[in-house]
This record gives sequence, structure tokens and C-alpha cells, in this order.
Amino acid sequence: MSVLEDLLGPRRGFDGGLFLPDFKAVTSRRPIETMPATSPLRVPLTARGDLATHIEVRRGDEVRRGTTLASRAAAEAVAVHAPTSGRIVDIDRAWTAAGGFVDCAVLEPDGRNEAAARRTSWSSESLLQHLADHGVVSPSPTCPGHVLLQSIGASGASDLIINAMETEPYLASDLRTLVEQPGRLIDMTCELADALGAHRVIFALPHRHQRVVRRIRAEAYGRLIDVVTLSERYPQCHPIMLAKSLLDREVPPGGTVLDVGAAVLPLAFIRAGADAWFDDRPVTHAVVTVSGDAVARPGVYRVPIGTTVRSLAEYVGVAEGAQKAVSGGPLTGIALHRDDTVVTAVTTAILFFQTDRVESPVPCVRCGWCVEDCPVGVDPAELFQLEAQQSFEVRHRLGLSACIDCGLCSHVCPAALPLSAAIWRCRSLVGDSPEAS
Amino acid sequence: MSTSPQIATGAWCAAAAPHRFGGATHDRILRAWTFGASIVAVGGIVFFGIAAAKVIAVSILTAIGADWIVAQSRGRPVIGGFSHAVLTGLLLALTLPATIAWYVPFVGAAVSIVIGKALFGGLGHYLWQPALLGRVVVQIVFLNSLTLGPQNPSWPVLGPKHLVTGSLSNGDEVELHRYPGWFRSQIGVTDDALKMPLPSQSLRRFADGRIPAENSLRYEPFVRDWLPPWEDTVIGLVPGGIGETGTLAIIVAGLYLIYRGYLRWQLPVAMIATAALAAALLPIQIADSGGQYDWFPVFADENGRAVGLAYVFYHLTSGGLMLGAFLLAGDMIATPMRGRGQVIFAACIGAMTIFLRLYGVLACACYWSILVMNMFVPAIDRGMKRPILGIEPEAP
Repeated sequence: MSVLEDLLGPRRGFDGGLFLPDFKAVTSRRPIETMPATSPLRVPLTARGDLATHIEVRRGDEVRRGTTLASRAAAEAVAVHAPTSGRIVDIDRAWTAAGGFVDCAVLEPDGRNEAAARRTSWSSESLLQHLADHGVVSPSPTCPGHVLLQSIGASGASDLIINAMETEPYLASDLRTLVEQPGRLIDMTCELADALGAHRVIFALPHRHQRVVRRIRAEAYGRLIDVVTLSERYPQCHPIMLAKSLLDREVPPGGTVLDVGAAVLPLAFIRAGADAWFDDRPVTHAVVTVSGDAVARPGVYRVPIGTTVRSLAEYVGVAEGAQKAVSGGPLTGIALHRDDTVVTAVTTAILFFQTDRVESPVPCVRCGWCVEDCPVGVDPAELFQLEAQQSFEVRHRLGLSACIDCGLCSHVCPAALPLSAAIWRCRSLVGDSPEAS
Repeated sequence: MSTSPQIATGAWCAAAAPHRFGGATHDRILRAWTFGASIVAVGGIVFFGIAAAKVIAVSILTAIGADWIVAQSRGRPVIGGFSHAVLTGLLLALTLPATIAWYVPFVGAAVSIVIGKALFGGLGHYLWQPALLGRVVVQIVFLNSLTLGPQNPSWPVLGPKHLVTGSLSNGDEVELHRYPGWFRSQIGVTDDALKMPLPSQSLRRFADGRIPAENSLRYEPFVRDWLPPWEDTVIGLVPGGIGETGTLAIIVAGLYLIYRGYLRWQLPVAMIATAALAAALLPIQIADSGGQYDWFPVFADENGRAVGLAYVFYHLTSGGLMLGAFLLAGDMIATPMRGRGQVIFAACIGAMTIFLRLYGVLACACYWSILVMNMFVPAIDRGMKRPILGIEPEAP
């Protein structure tokens, strides 16, 4: 289909990239299912280790769904709420994929899932305050939602891009969200655009999903939102590629989209923000794609925060002998090595695979695929050789810092060379050297 | 909570992203190339008989043996397995004629692997396509059995009803001006093969002005008396190397590789297009004119027939050009990395092939051109860097 996409698809794009087999057939058709909390939850009490929070509960406390477990102690922190009703049996440490060990509250669910009393009247607090108090975080870039909005406001970015591209294989949570609640997404986009004072709002959608595109167009009718479709060439979902495709602005190496006056918000953040802002519902669940060839019931699940990967695997039925578990997409995610890793608010996908890679590397065969497919135009084969020889010069620094870690070079390499890992290593090497200033 | 019965703690592999891969491996690429080359090899065995199969077998076995011996002498296993040796041996055999003695493919394959591949650092590091290096070395070493000197003017191809099983040595000379084409040809009862001049050699003689004109007609007597019918050159029923003649099989093999994504379509297209352009434009010497040249032969028109087009067409289907374009020039290790670099690379090969064929003295012009252009691959690669996103490329 890629040839047809190239001929008939939209013209906007970037050099390089690749159409990947998407493996979304099952996950994108099943409605989002809420996973019940049955086993004890290990709810992380802070979004990140360095964001200080006051722990509001003690061992033995009874909590209800939405009860505040931890409140903000620093300006950048977000509050944490109980995903279900039950009893706090312990305050412990939990392993998270992105942040390592953080404090957690072990919550024994009582099965009744009673909600805490909701506030009936609107307070006069600002949107940012509201998002922070409701624990809204953004998965990419991984930071608290109000901090993300503050940095956008401070940078003066005037173009707001809503990123609903999701071009990585297997992932379907954004697509399901678009199918199931398009109106709320558009409403929240308008709220955020108002708050940020954006001049132009672009809603980026995959061109292939025409029904979704029509639905979003209908919802956005009469609002100042450009609904733009893009081809699903990976890594179109990356903010830097979105700025290139939609605005034709090239982010300088090592920079972010804010440097070129664009702000990119992930759809998961819009969804969580809508829940918090319109329904006064704190973030208690993460919408997670659970898929991969080892999963018996793949799909998009609304998973209580604090669920361990082990109990998630039991719930969806992971085949015995699965060799790989990944938090995030198959090309950019983090491999999990512990089955007591917990689902946090920034988890977007948990993938289980039967096999790991078995081929061992051979010398570069100079196929040139990594060079042609690289979305930012660096030469991974050359950088790999330089990394082996430890012979960097300053002129390679631009290429190194331009890399967006999309993983395509390793993905396509027929010699099974760890190209993207090597580039990542040299970037940390060269970035610290005095010439890098 | 008790531990899960399904997943053992710590059984998952931790590794850096990405976690899923495209599925193309070096071994799979080489197998696809070997499959494509064996399509051509099967065609060669049909046209030239069991003798061709023997040449292929000797070549492949020698290549495997040489690779094994080199690996043993260095005390390490063969990097990437024997797929590359098999492919190199097979490609070398495809460029050799079936009538050759057994020691020619033996020496050629050994030179390919030991000098062409191992001496340059093995897989992924060689500069020249190893099969072609072996081919030109045996061309020089065994000049007498491979050159078409005056003592050996015509080469055999099996006749009708004698395909596969016939013997090439029972040949009967055919007179091309009375030759009705392979399908309708009549050969003697005891003969298995037809002998005729090599088309690429005839084209070279024609370009040198050594084929006499006939009442101011130059192209028409040449095509009639010195070349087999065009459909025979497409199917491969003309003398030549084992894999060189079967244009149709070569194109099928090339399309298969392009479909698999292991050969960029730009490379053969650029090579054939520039070869056609060069053949259409470059001048040829007019016979008995004392060194006058005829430019733009493609526009030649005699008795209302577009004989110039026929001349260009024979240039494309004869010699090693098609085999070079689809199977030999596209070796990943000895070609530029980027698609547009490969276009330049292939265009130079195509033009140089025709140039050497028209004015040069070397046999197998296409293979020499590929080897020459292989040396320019690093330079082409340096000139073909992609601009990095966010940085304005330097003006040339």
C-alpha cells in the first residue's frame, strides 16, 4: 500500500521514514475496556522522583476512588489520586519503567469501587492549577501537564499542533480515543488553545483513517481548528517531524519544536485534561494499548494506575514463555525486565512478544537503508564506525544531536547492528566534551 | 499476591530500543540474490546443457571451499555463513562460457574469494565485486580459451530438440544470412549445437568498420549477415556466457529482487538507459571510408527501415550488459549507499560499457566498467551526504 499512499496520499511530508506494518487490526477495532482493580495496586505517589509531594494517607486508611493520596508539595508536582476504593495496607517503593523506584501506596481494593464525594461547584482556580491538582501528565514529552503548558506559554509558541498520529506499530490508544470521544477532544483543544493564546491550531490525523477524519472534521466544524491529515510514514508522530510536515519548519539539531514557535501536545494529554476539566475527574487510570504476539486478548484497556505488569499480563492472558515486555511502542519503548513494574499515568502501551531478536551482528553490508530511511538525514552507518573507532570530530556533533531516537536505523539494518544504541552512546559522549558548547 | 504461574520473574530480556525489526537479514538478502541468479542459471543449463551445470558446480564448490579454508587459516568461523560464497561462485559461473575447461572456474572462484573478498577484509569490506574480479583475472590468465581471436571465431549454443542434454562440442557452423532463427533452424543428425559469431564481438567489429558495406547499405547487411534474429537474443538462444544470453530470465530475476526490495530499481534502469543513450549517440567508424565516423547511429534509416534502432537494441541484449545491470552491479557492498548515488554509479557503468565496446580492446567491457566504477564508490558516497534536518546544506 505504501506506493499507493505515496501517489495518492497527502503531499506533506519529510525525507526518509518508512511505512511499517502496523499490527493494529485487532486493537483498533475493540472498544476501550476498563480493567477492574482486583489485585493490590502499587500506586506511585509522585509522577517523577524529583517532584515532591505530601503523602496524605497512612497505613490502614480507607480511601475511595478519587481520594487524594498525595498532594503537591512543589510547584511542578502533580497530585495523585486513588484509582479505586479500598484500604492502604502499606507505603512502599514501586518500580516504574520511566523513573525507576518511587514511593508508592499499596492499595488493597475492596471491590466496591465507590467514588469519593465530588465537588459540586466550580472553583475559580486557573486551568493550570486545575490540571495539576487532578494529576494530569503528558506522556511525550514526559512531564506534568501544567509544566508543559507553562513552558509553551513562556516560549511564545503561536502554532499549536495536536498530535494524533500514532504511527508506531501496535499502538491504538489514540485512535480508539478519537473514535470514542471526538467531541471532548475538540472541546479540550479549544480550551487549551484559548489558554495558550495560540494563533493557529492544527489537529494532525492519519490520512488512512478517513472515518475518524470525517468525524473530527464534523466536530471541529465552525471552530478555528485546521484538521490536517498526514501519511502514516513512521516517524511522522514525532513532534519534530510534525513541525517539518505541517509548518515546514526545521528544528535545529538538539532543539525542540518550541524553538521554531510550535507546540505539540499529545492526544493522551488532551484526553486526560478533558476528563479533569469538564468532568472534574482526576487521573486514576491510564489508557494503555496491550498488544503483541504473546497476548491472547489484545486491545486498548483503561488500566488503574499502580497495576503491576504481572497482573495486567494475567488479565489479558500472556502466553507462557513470552521473552519480551515493552513499555511504550516497539521502536521507542523501554524494555521491562521486572514483572512488578507498575503502570503509571504516562504509560501508553505495554507490549508482550514471544521472541527476542536471535540474529547476531555481521559487518555492515552497505545496503544504505539506514541512510535513506533516517528522518533527519544523519548517516548511522558512518557514526557507528566512528563510535567503534572512538574518533569523533566536532563536525559529527550536529549529526549526533539531530538524531531523534526513532530507532528506524536499527529496525531496518540487515546486518543486525545496534545503530541507534551506538548513536545514543556517542551522543552522551560528545555532548559532554568541551567542544560541544 | 502470589507470583504468576504464567511469567517467571526476570525472564524478559532487557535491551535498548527498537524491539521489533524489519525482518530483512543479510543472509536472507543473499539467499534472495542466489535465488534470482539461479533463475538465470537454470536458463543457462537449458541453453548450454550439462556442461554449464558442471561449470556452475565447480565454481560454487570452489568458492565455498576457499571461504572455509580462509576462515580456518584465520582460526574463526565464516562470518555470515556460506551464502556469500555460494552467490559469488554462482555469479562467476554465469559470466563464463559453458565450453570452458574445469580449471577456469576453479581458479576464478578461488581468486574471487581469496583475493577479491578475504584480502580486503572479508564480508562488508571489499572494494571490487569479487565475482567480477575473479572473472577478469581468468580473462587475462586464460586468454586463449576465453578470447575470440581469429582462430576461434564462433561459439556454440544447443540446437532445437537438443536442449539440456546436447553436447556443445558437436557443433555445426551456421551461415547467419541464411539462418531463419533458432526455432526454425535445421541442423544435421549428428550435430547437437549451432555455432555462430558472438553478437557482442560482431558489434565491436562493426563499430571498427571491419564489416563491409553493400551498395551504400551498412546496417542492413550487418544485421542480416552477422547477427541472429532479435527474438533469439531476448530468449537467450545465442552463444555467450552461461547467464549472459538469457535476457528474459535476467529481467525476471531482477524484477524479483526489486520486488523483494533488495535491489533498487534505479540502478538497472539508469544503467540500461545510459547504455542505450550511449549506443544511440556514439559514432561508429564507416567501413572502407578511411576513418570517417558516423554519428548518431540510432537515426540510421535504410530502405525505410529503422535499422539504427535495431542496432541499439542488439547492443542492449548482447554481451554482459543485462547480467551486469540486474545481478552484478547491484552488489550492496560494492555500490554507493544512497539511491541517487547508485544512479550516478550505474549511469557511468552503462556509458562506459558501450564506450569500451565500441572503441576499447578489452573483452567483457561491462565487467571492466563495473570494476572501474567500484573504485569510485567512496567518492560518490562522500558527495552524496544527506543534509541534516535544520541545517542549511553548504552551497557546492
